[in-house]
Amino acid sequence: MPTQITYLHDGSFEGMLTAVAIAVKSNNEVEGIYPSQHYASSLFTDVHNVQTDQSQAMRFFKYLQSLKGIAASLAIDGFLSENDEMATHLYCMVRESLQYGESVLYWHTHDSVNFLHKLSRKVRREAHRFNGLVRFRILEDGLQYAPFEPDYNVIGYCAQHFRKRLANYSWVLHDVRRNQALYWDGSSCQSIYIDEGFSSQVRTSGELPQKHLCQSEIHYQRLWNYFHEAIAIKERRNPLLQRQYMPSRYWKYLPEIS
Amino acid sequence: MKIEEKLRILADAAKYDVSCASSGSDRGTTAGGIGNGHKSGICHSWSADGRCISLLKVLLSNACVYDCCYCINRRSNNRERATFTPVEVAELTINFYLRNYIEGLFLSSAVYSSADATMADMIEVCRLLREKHQFNGYIHLKVIPGASRELVNKAGILADRLSVNIELPSESSLLRLAPQKTKISIFTPMQQIGESFQGHRLERKRGKKSLRFCPAGQSTQLIVGASQENDLQILNLSAGLYKKMHLKRVYYSAYMAVNTDPSLPVPVGGPPLMREHRLYQADWLLRFYRFQAHEILTDAAPNLDERIDPKAAWALRNYELFPLDINRASYEELLRVPGIGVISARRIVQTRRVTTIRLEDLTKIGLVLKRAKYFISLNGRKVVQAPYSFKQVVEAMHTIEKPKNQRPRQSPQLRLF
Repeated sequence: MPTQITYLHDGSFEGMLTAVAIAVKSNNEVEGIYPSQHYASSLFTDVHNVQTDQSQAMRFFKYLQSLKGIAASLAIDGFLSENDEMATHLYCMVRESLQYGESVLYWHTHDSVNFLHKLSRKVRREAHRFNGLVRFRILEDGLQYAPFEPDYNVIGYCAQHFRKRLANYSWVLHDVRRNQALYWDGSSCQSIYIDEGFSSQVRTSGELPQKHLCQSEIHYQRLWNYFHEAIAIKERRNPLLQRQYMPSRYWKYLPEIS
Repeated sequence: MKIEEKLRILADAAKYDVSCASSGSDRGTTAGGIGNGHKSGICHSWSADGRCISLLKVLLSNACVYDCCYCINRRSNNRERATFTPVEVAELTINFYLRNYIEGLFLSSAVYSSADATMADMIEVCRLLREKHQFNGYIHLKVIPGASRELVNKAGILADRLSVNIELPSESSLLRLAPQKTKISIFTPMQQIGESFQGHRLERKRGKKSLRFCPAGQSTQLIVGASQENDLQILNLSAGLYKKMHLKRVYYSAYMAVNTDPSLPVPVGGPPLMREHRLYQADWLLRFYRFQAHEILTDAAPNLDERIDPKAAWALRNYELFPLDINRASYEELLRVPGIGVISARRIVQTRRVTTIRLEDLTKIGLVLKRAKYFISLNGRKVVQAPYSFKQVVEAMHTIEKPKNQRPRQSPQLRLF
């Protein structure tokens, strides 16, 4: 009887792709593919630690891109969702597509395909939500700074959006939960380090210390507050509906809610 | 007057305008400019009434010379009046936009002198934004009924969306409740916008470099419940607007008694929100589900049933067409099944290319089984095994609707008594 093998990768995107690629190539029965950090080993599984191989990962990614385009974005979105099960499902989907052809990517009743589509929808939905819910504070030197706490790792998607929209301004998007930040200087986007002390201060207060803000910032936050209040129709008040669209976990960094 | 005061008054006066869409424009960022359009639109916040906020929705002025019965800003009302200068609106828009509060500007206005003078000032705001600030975000501009051709044309080139409010569903109601507005003053600009929109789009399609004329199309709004028209008349009107005037959206707004006037009805139990909701459902059937107005309502039953959604009502009236087989029905047929929407119908069609669909797969596809189960079959077998009568189906479709409407609106906190 062939043994069931568990593949572990280092948690990076390339590592995940390498592990899936190796699993697809081998004829072993795969028990699962997980990031090693989150894996508690049990007695009866055969564990393979996968060495990340950049070129193999890239080759596999190219292959995914050749599958009608959607497979690659399913892999990316799955990875951004930080769900530990996604690599296993990606493996299952690729195996099926080798057997039945590319149309399995739309086999919505298949558990793995369904799982990946669902994850992708969740990630895309949150990225889209934050394109609207991110709030920039303008600092004294003109830099625009936006802290936010997304459930999924969507900072890259948001940066893609704002590099088009605010192309001629410089801004920082700061994922306070993961303490990742992206800085756009008007021509290129780069990852920057924001010191933990500052982050935790923003995380607890939900706002920046006033001394960092530019003079008109408070003025416009107040105007926005007035507007937000005036635009609601009292006779149609419906806080449940409001919360359904804008869950309260997003409220922390919104100046209109205070 | 301070800008805070003006914003409070003029946002408050604009809140009855329903439109919030920011979709349909794909204007790109220009060098040195700010902003872009987003094809699907983006909601930026939600107000306490649960409506989305995507645009800075304000009036340029609320000092109106007209005296429309239903309107909060009518001349004879004693209200605080304010007027923005075009520079103030442009500054506000840019500063809100930079902070990502909004997707753009929605500018409407009371008519404070002639229609043309008001329209010209509104266009000046757009010009400031587009030319001085190089703003490429969304602009929705209301067209004042009776504005001249040149001004409407200018507005279309600067804005992303134009709208002329139809206000009331028929000419006679308009005459009675909004005596200064006429059918002709509303439909002339509407027709012009529709023709220009279509013309410029065709030219661009043929590869000619033509200017974009309101790329996000035009919309309109009408008040439901202030006059005697029935739902069939309203739906026929909407269907005509979509077809003949190339409108993108018709918005319905439940009549709210903001004024007391002898010619206005006294609404019992608040604004007719349920009727508004059903009209929107019917509107969706027209636009996305390939229904015709006469299929949804007939002269014999010209009003939508408030207890049941119009698609379920249609399915019950045409019960002999069902059950439809999930594995064989065409996309158009699937769209007619209650509980199957545009997305789940598409998924069914995609999945069928790989495999046949089984009973346990149905919920994975995302259709609403409790609605759909009486109207579908799988390879000739009914989904509900126990025999059921038509009467039971009718009853079931009515009870599905109930719980949501009765949901308590109090806080979810524990109550002891």
